Amino acid sequence: MTISGLPAISARRRRTDQLVRGSLLAGFVLALIPLVLVIYYLIYKGISTWSWKFFSTDPNGNFLGYPGGIRSALLGSIEIVALATLISIPIGIGVALYLVEYGKDSPFASFVRYLTDVQTGVPSIVFGLFVYIVLVEAKVGGTGFAAWKGAVALALLMFPVASRSAEVVLLLVPASLREAALALGAPRWRVVVRVVLPTARSGLVTGSLLAVARGMGETAPLLFTTAGAFALTFNLNGQMNAMPLQIYNDILSPRTEVVNRAWGTALVLVALILILNLIARAVSRRSTA
Amino acid sequence: MKETRHQYREALKELERKTLAGLDLVIGQLDRALESVSYQDVELAGMVVADDDRIDGRYLEVHQEILSLLARQAPVAGDLRIVAALLHTIRCVERMGDQCVNIAKLVPLSGYEAPKDKDILDTIERMGRLARWQVSQAKDAFATRSVELAQDLVRQDADINRLNREIFKRAVEVGDDPDAREWAMFMILVARCLERVGDNTVDIAEQTVFVVTGLFREFADTTAPATTPPETATTP
Amino acid sequence: MIPDETTNQNANDQPTAVRSPAPQVLDRSARPAARSGMGHAVQVRGLNAYYGQLHSIKAVDLDCPANEVTALIGPSGSGKSTVIRCINRMHEEIPGARAEGSVKLDDLDVYDDDIDVTAVRRLVGMVFQKPNPFPTMSIFDNVAAGLRLTGTKSDNLRELVHRSLRGVGLWDEVKDRLNTPGIGLSGGQQQRLCIARTVAVEPEVILMDEPASALDPISTLKIEELIDELKERYTIVIVTHNMQQAARIADSTVFMLDGEVIEHGPTGEIFTNPKDERTERYVSGKFG
Repeated sequence: MTISGLPAISARRRRTDQLVRGSLLAGFVLALIPLVLVIYYLIYKGISTWSWKFFSTDPNGNFLGYPGGIRSALLGSIEIVALATLISIPIGIGVALYLVEYGKDSPFASFVRYLTDVQTGVPSIVFGLFVYIVLVEAKVGGTGFAAWKGAVALALLMFPVASRSAEVVLLLVPASLREAALALGAPRWRVVVRVVLPTARSGLVTGSLLAVARGMGETAPLLFTTAGAFALTFNLNGQMNAMPLQIYNDILSPRTEVVNRAWGTALVLVALILILNLIARAVSRRSTA
Repeated sequence: MKETRHQYREALKELERKTLAGLDLVIGQLDRALESVSYQDVELAGMVVADDDRIDGRYLEVHQEILSLLARQAPVAGDLRIVAALLHTIRCVERMGDQCVNIAKLVPLSGYEAPKDKDILDTIERMGRLARWQVSQAKDAFATRSVELAQDLVRQDADINRLNREIFKRAVEVGDDPDAREWAMFMILVARCLERVGDNTVDIAEQTVFVVTGLFREFADTTAPATTPPETATTP
Repeated sequence: MIPDETTNQNANDQPTAVRSPAPQVLDRSARPAARSGMGHAVQVRGLNAYYGQLHSIKAVDLDCPANEVTALIGPSGSGKSTVIRCINRMHEEIPGARAEGSVKLDDLDVYDDDIDVTAVRRLVGMVFQKPNPFPTMSIFDNVAAGLRLTGTKSDNLRELVHRSLRGVGLWDEVKDRLNTPGIGLSGGQQQRLCIARTVAVEPEVILMDEPASALDPISTLKIEELIDELKERYTIVIVTHNMQQAARIADSTVFMLDGEVIEHGPTGEIFTNPKDERTERYVSGKFG
């Protein structure tokens, strides 16, 4: 059917269109399958272990009876990641500020940028080994394995992520705002603190949350630095439990209850990361509204 | 690629062409008016009066286009001076046309017999040729933006003014014949119209100098007797 | 304090007094007050500006009389924006850019070695082509931003902000919503907000880089009306690519081409009888 002179879509074009749509849909479904399977399997295997006791008791090393909950792992994760965040985010944002506001295109800044990029790609186990040799072996701080050393390893991992995302967000702040502030007679540091950072605030928060989510799930760095423990502890200078460590420990156990606990822990981990991502998204959407 | 503001520039050139063509119309009217005076041709005089409509029409047309150009194109600097000068010039054209009409209207009034005094008629004819020449030179001066031609018009206008005074003097001495005297009176009026045409050409010359230099100077008033050279001076 | 100097130095006179060290010279209370008819003139001499190796402004001399609007016109790339950015030393914020020469506000040369750049910018305000209110700040905070960013203590901030908003004709439109975000206003209102922000710092000179080119015609006329009022208290230098705008609002006009000043004179003369052939061609639109 034509509309007064315009040619109709040919059948060949229709077929091509349907073919491409179909293959895109197929690709999409294909990519979703593993994700759906993982989440389904996690829920299926892990949800049955969730209970109040699960979250309020520590894992005990008993061979028989209730193997314990994951309280120390959960709180330990939070403690270690919190410390890592405290270290890595300010430094990450600071480096990004330097690159965007002061370094710009200078050779040194390009070098720093390059190193940061490399750091995002370094496997997490390398950071773990590095901290193991530098801090654990050398027994810095008086102890071997320690939670704060695990935090350092995580910070090394989180820092480049935070820095790169912060740099992107800071670059998005329009140059016209900096110009306006400079033209009013503001010294550069005030321009950064009073104009650039507030404008980039939500983007920086989002980037930081994503870095935190990343840090939460890493196992290898903690293996070599924190090593894990059963009891709940708040001593950052000693060994501490963490969820990835807990999973690592439990999954190979011969006891089914312990293996199930590993699934439950994995579910908690994924749920936490999911929540962090949702918060990050909500923050960024609220700012652009 | 066309120059910028091509349409504007063309419109401006066309406006100038139309205005200066008005001067051609004036020359035509002047020729016929003078002929009707020379031969006491009342019919020709009537045609001159009727044809003034064309000059009036030309005036209105140019006037309207100038307003339109000012509103739409906002000419500045040299272009603005040209537009201002054209506005001034087309008014001079219209006035000169009116003077031709005045001359033509005097023809039937001055009687149906042949003209009386040869001297006066000769002088009138000389004035007429001079006036015609001045209009033509004014047109050239403006079209070529020539300050020399413009300033020369002042000198020529001095001649026309002198001839005007001569006619007055002759008319006073024309004799006792009442018909002749009456005719001579009318010739004085004709001479005055021609002198006015001359003044208008000087106005156009002033506009030419304004366009070129951006300065407006009124050329010295040469009608006052005190400024004429001694040989042609008359004692009033 | 500046010894031995009268407060009504003409822009062309050379200062005879010894200049004291910079921080004292820029003591605001020591600057001659802008009483009506005795504002602050800008005098540029021998200004050269570079973008890296590119010599973009060549030995420019300029006089912007006090309490008048001076417009800079010229084709793109003629250097007009660069010139005004040299007046408040924003030009050097561009990496690789530098300027040399003399830019005097009355007797004070802003390119002196010991001058604090941020102090210069408090004396010379700037309004940009695209309105740029701070998005995270409310209308009130935007106007107060200049004072807060420069660390200027002000006893009655509210009064100052209200006065600035009134001064730009924005008060009636925003008085009920001073705490709403500055970016919630229309384009023309935003630009007036930026002008209020500039004015709140109480500068001596206001530079405007095509302030109305991003606005609709009605807003443009409002801005022009505002400029006419502002010149009673400030000296205004405006860059515009809209010649009719320069013709409407400027007291004197400067025509620039390829980094040089070609002609500088009263606006009426520039637009009826310019002296230079190039000026004639530019204002008549004969530039191809």
